[in-house]
Amino acid sequence: MDIKILDSWLREFLDTKAKPAELVKCLSLCGPSVERVEKYGNDSVYNIEVTTNRIDSASVYGIAREGAAILPRFGVTAKLKRIKPFSSEFKFVKKVNYLNPVVNPELCKRFTAVLIKNVKIEDSPEEIKKRLESAGVRAINNIVDISNYIMLELGQPVHTFDYDKIKGSKMILRESKKGEKITTLDGKVFTLKGNDIVIEDGEGRLIDLAGVMGGALSAVDENTKNVLLFVQTYDAVRIRKTSMGLAQRTIAATIFEKGTDPELVTPAILKGIKLFKSLCRGEAEKEIIDLYPDSFKPKKISLGLEFIEKRLGITISKKDISDYLTSLDFETDWYGNNLEVQVPSFRSQDVLEPEDVVEEIARIYGYHNLPSEVMIGKLTGRSTSPKFTFEEKIKNYLSGWGGCEVYTLSLVSKDFVDQGALKLKNPLGVDSEYLRTSLMPSLINAAKENTGTFETFHLFEMSNIYLPRKNDLPEEKLMLAGIFEGYKYREAKGIMEALLEKLHLNVNFEIQESKGFAAGKCVEILVGKESIGRIGYPENSENIYYEIDIQKLFKLSQKDIKYKDISKYPAQVEDITFILPERTKIGEVAKLIESNPLVQGYSLDSVYKGNNFTFHIWYQNPDRTLTNSDVQEIRNKIVQAIKTKFGGQIKA
Amino acid sequence: MQEEIMSAKNQALAQITGARDNTELEQIRIDLFGRNGKITGLVKRIKEVPQENRQQVGILINETKNTLENLFAEQRNSFKENAREWFDPTIPGIKPKIGHLHLVTQAITEISKVFEGIGFERVRYPEVEWDFFAFEGLNMPKGHPARDEWETFFVDAPENPKYGKVLLTPQTSSGQVREMLRVKSPPVRMINIGKCYRRQSDISHVPMFHQFEGLVIDENISIVNLKGTLSYFAQSFFGKERKIRLRPYHFQFTEPSFEIDVSCGNCDGRGCKLCKAGWLELGGAGMVHPNVLKAGGINPNKYSGFAFGWGVERTYMMKGGIHIPDIRLLYSADLRYLTQF
Repeated sequence: MDIKILDSWLREFLDTKAKPAELVKCLSLCGPSVERVEKYGNDSVYNIEVTTNRIDSASVYGIAREGAAILPRFGVTAKLKRIKPFSSEFKFVKKVNYLNPVVNPELCKRFTAVLIKNVKIEDSPEEIKKRLESAGVRAINNIVDISNYIMLELGQPVHTFDYDKIKGSKMILRESKKGEKITTLDGKVFTLKGNDIVIEDGEGRLIDLAGVMGGALSAVDENTKNVLLFVQTYDAVRIRKTSMGLAQRTIAATIFEKGTDPELVTPAILKGIKLFKSLCRGEAEKEIIDLYPDSFKPKKISLGLEFIEKRLGITISKKDISDYLTSLDFETDWYGNNLEVQVPSFRSQDVLEPEDVVEEIARIYGYHNLPSEVMIGKLTGRSTSPKFTFEEKIKNYLSGWGGCEVYTLSLVSKDFVDQGALKLKNPLGVDSEYLRTSLMPSLINAAKENTGTFETFHLFEMSNIYLPRKNDLPEEKLMLAGIFEGYKYREAKGIMEALLEKLHLNVNFEIQESKGFAAGKCVEILVGKESIGRIGYPENSENIYYEIDIQKLFKLSQKDIKYKDISKYPAQVEDITFILPERTKIGEVAKLIESNPLVQGYSLDSVYKGNNFTFHIWYQNPDRTLTNSDVQEIRNKIVQAIKTKFGGQIKA
Repeated sequence: MQEEIMSAKNQALAQITGARDNTELEQIRIDLFGRNGKITGLVKRIKEVPQENRQQVGILINETKNTLENLFAEQRNSFKENAREWFDPTIPGIKPKIGHLHLVTQAITEISKVFEGIGFERVRYPEVEWDFFAFEGLNMPKGHPARDEWETFFVDAPENPKYGKVLLTPQTSSGQVREMLRVKSPPVRMINIGKCYRRQSDISHVPMFHQFEGLVIDENISIVNLKGTLSYFAQSFFGKERKIRLRPYHFQFTEPSFEIDVSCGNCDGRGCKLCKAGWLELGGAGMVHPNVLKAGGINPNKYSGFAFGWGVERTYMMKGGIHIPDIRLLYSADLRYLTQF
């Protein structure tokens, strides 16, 4: 929550000579973060970020309180000008003659109200207007402005009813029932879902959506004579639910939902009475109704000196600890080396455990005053899984061979996923509604983005796909996928072959129909019988696409490399050209050549006229030198087999 | 004498340039500079020159010698050139296709190296996660306002009775409790790097981004260690001269919590347009909340720890001072952007 505070308003409660820049620096290092300070006429405005746990500091007074504790640690004198939490003139009583409330204390921990008669509605004085407007709140008239003023100054939301519109001077503060309707001050009509905090008057009409926004039926208007000043502490969870559920995010609701201090009600209502007198010439009743059955009892937390020092990582004196905590309104008692801390009411929501007390000590001591040391101690005895290096290695190979890595969004449209894919409840749009089940559509899109700009490219990505599982989180399968534009099929497949060879894997490519691929234009990549992926042309696409299951690839490539002696006998190498009939699968021809035990390797060197295939073949026998007649014998076997199996001829 | 030298020089120049090969050239050299060579003879005769001219003649002979020797070398080289096959080493090369790793991959590699160097173990945890690990186990019970800060995507899937709703993890902190449950007993030194998702899309936010999360748990882990580790990171990653500072902040899963700033590299911490008074915001950190340790089955009375979780993209861009006007470009596939980094 961000708040804006005028420097002069802050100094009404904080007595210091510190300059604004000094305040910014000190507060940010030890307390609320001051994002910036801006000139405002001859004044300055602080923009301060207040964290959700510190709603007690979301006000002028709250920041002054922090400043008074923090500034002296930087050698700057500062003193908090405290507000009086009582009045000799007004009494807090359980029963009054002007209002008959029935309150469920579970919904409203503290209920106070006071009748103020004969108010004069007019514009607020310039000083009030300036303070409100510097905080980003529009000045309306003195009555509305009073509520906002108190909220900004003290952090306690305040409401005013037109007293004469409360039928029967009766109020029932209760939970709403499902289907009940209420019109709020801004004219919006809400049908309630139930469990909201509402107030009903003597005629059963809903006059307030408590803690969120006042009801239209009881709203103050230009004819209002008497007002009911209304200051409460509501159940935070219910306020939040109502405000979020109805999307009615008022400042009051964002404060109430974080849990306000019931003790803050007293100064807030007294300040209200005072302002109504000075600004509206209204006269308050001397008795304030105050229903507060479960009044605040301070909590105590105990912790040891050793615990504090261990968490801080330094030694620190008991006196310093007490000084820091006392400056924040905590009370401290030492019993030997054990500290008992009494938490002030305004911190009772967020200081609950010894760790919370350590934080208070640490931040006032100053994080900037702590030394920096990397921890010592035992190492974990575990080390990072080699899978990460493996993934990195693959990416390096591919980029080394010209691949460009992309990261595309895991969230895709319905057309991009298989049936049963996981769907988001609250997507940003229809194009990112599902968790992808394949990288193919994303990469086809990625290729399209570059077509026209670049003639040839190879894009690849290593990312998860999400495969639903019953009663469990989906399987997150890490896939490597890539797409080629402007590459010949042999070039693209060659990159896959090279990658698998670098990983010392013996693979087979088998024609198989695969989802998303054009019929007959895809091969499955197999290691033994296990499929690890596929490469081919996707349906209706000119691009070549491949995908590989990284986890399988990792597992299969985790074998030790066995050293092989290099043959002492030289290899014989020759080129043979085969003329093969149309529609011969050259992969199978190659496999046949390779299957001869004396063939150490081969490559398909050239293809011409569509049916002339020149293979470059290495013959080698590990045990002896091959003679020309040996080679001829092997060659004859191969030629014969190719003739029988494929009807191919050796080219003379 | 001077005339004699000049004529010998001119004659020699003609002979050298007219020579057809090295043998001929060598013969000319001997005729000039050999024991009975023409120039050698002239040198010997310097002493016959009258004293007043002797210096001048000496200079002339030396100049002649130098000129002729240079010409010999030139001529010899030109014979060599002509003997060689013509070759032009200046012709432009044929480059292999130049590939490219994504900025995020480069960043992750660098970040993990820094932490692995001080004994951190890299892990990866689910992107599609249970509410328990993303929120509840991190001390953020249902309906807690702190949950608002993470604009969370929810998945349309049945709730688990124990772990609650299915969502896309909005931060890598969801790996904290998972790591504690996996490791069972400290020490823990985890660096969890992964994809996170938040319901936001504008020039500085992408619905999908990456975070790296550090978690250290052991006996006697203190704020001093948190500062030490993060300083070590900042100095290894950004440069030796960089400093960090801690500012108080609030997260439900750490107590105390901090925002970590690093001194601005552009202005050396003096304050400039790119930073806030000399500092750049890195991200959040804090001492692990005892409730989180409990959720991970670790005794908070015996052990303590710290954690931090920062954006990979953001941190990396702060390093190089890379200014990308719209962060969403990183997740487009447009090579014109991607190949720049």
